[in-house]
Amino acid sequence: MGLPLFSAHDDPGPSFFHYADRAGLTAPGAPGTALSAHATTVIAVRYVGGVVMVGDRQATGAYIASRDVRKIEPADRFTALAISGTAARGIEFIKMAQLSFEHYEKMTDTALSLEGKANYLSPIIQRNNLSSPLFVLPLLAGWDTAHAVGRIFEYDGAGGCYERMDFATIGSGTPFAESTLRLGFSADLTRDQALELGALAIYEAGDNDPSTGGPDFVRGIFPMMVTVASDGFQELDADDVANRFRVINERRTQSGGRAEGSLR
Amino acid sequence: MSNYFYVAPEQLIRDRAEFAQKGIARGRSIIGAIFDAGVVMVAENPSASLFKISEVYDRIAFAGVGKYNEFDRLREAGIRWADGTGFTYSRGDVDARALANYYAQHLGDMFTEGQKPLEVEILVAQLGNRIRPTKLYRIAYEGTISDEPRFAVLGGDAETIKARFEASETALEPLVTTLKNAVGALAGPDRTIEVRELEVGILEDRGERRTFARLTDEQVSELLR
Repeated sequence: MGLPLFSAHDDPGPSFFHYADRAGLTAPGAPGTALSAHATTVIAVRYVGGVVMVGDRQATGAYIASRDVRKIEPADRFTALAISGTAARGIEFIKMAQLSFEHYEKMTDTALSLEGKANYLSPIIQRNNLSSPLFVLPLLAGWDTAHAVGRIFEYDGAGGCYERMDFATIGSGTPFAESTLRLGFSADLTRDQALELGALAIYEAGDNDPSTGGPDFVRGIFPMMVTVASDGFQELDADDVANRFRVINERRTQSGGRAEGSLR
Repeated sequence: MSNYFYVAPEQLIRDRAEFAQKGIARGRSIIGAIFDAGVVMVAENPSASLFKISEVYDRIAFAGVGKYNEFDRLREAGIRWADGTGFTYSRGDVDARALANYYAQHLGDMFTEGQKPLEVEILVAQLGNRIRPTKLYRIAYEGTISDEPRFAVLGGDAETIKARFEASETALEPLVTTLKNAVGALAGPDRTIEVRELEVGILEDRGERRTFARLTDEQVSELLR
């Protein structure tokens, strides 16, 4: 790779995706048959001072391929990005997003707005999903530094970007996680309440969806829990996460596996 | 019939060099120096938004003097090259020496083959780690690349500033001292430079992946007190 110089009229600007495309660093999608099961559950919930994201850790093909996948990553200091769909494309997608946001910042000496980041991902998703059966569907949650508020953006398969004012889910466990969130969400959740609701949603998804991994007490592997607030992206430490799932699990054990008419 | 006059290659090179030097001498100078915990770059820059110093990669920074549009395009190309290389291989494979060589080749090509030579000088700095040393590469307008052991001065008045800085900075110093010496050398004995006219960037390990930081006017004032 030589020095990538462009004349002013065909300069790709501060977009790494457009430069990478031009330089042939990314492979275009190819038609074919779908390979991937759509297996994952990640949820995002807004609370008063930010956003919570919780995601399972299981990679599922015909069998369980991995039990400790990280499906949520910081896209930058104030943005969390989660993926569902094909692992290979998802990982490349996260890498592309991380690099693009940083690239923009270095090229222009200003950070992209949260809405700018959300919109930037649309055509990348669109191109991937409409040109290849290796589907990827992300979920973006972040702290909007300009408006001092946590925001969530979800996407449809064609790259359409929609802001959600309450919560969002992606992956095969969506029906179960979404039901839990619908019953438990209120606009005035605290950070702790949002974390508990998020954990419960993933617990439900793991309990009902064979392709979503719930808490694994045998191996000590637990879903990932993160918050994005004015202090940036923070991942909860392993003990904290384990305790939250242990509490839910003990309650369920006592009631013989039933929620018994309440969110517990 | 068109009239082409013979010009000796020596004369051509001399003319081109003189042209580039004149352009570079019009701008203010930059000092890049290694201090005890990293690299500091200090520029005299009256603009608070048109920067001469920039982050390129996790441990690499760029500084340019001369014509802004020319070195800014090189800066952008450097960022693209670094991000592209890191994307293709790994972040650890992005090496300042490779980038400095590309700059040298490009400046060399433009000097001999371009419509006109680029009126810029470039500094590429790398903060060392376990596998790479801390380095300052200076690339001149005609593509000469030099590996500066402690510090580099770029710009029109380089020789005078170099002598002043060399006299004050005799050993590896902390940031406070190196910055004071650099500002003193840029200003000279008869002048003081206001903090808002200084642009300061550092490469320093702070326990994070990215090591570049642009110092604010408040931080610079604090250090210069």
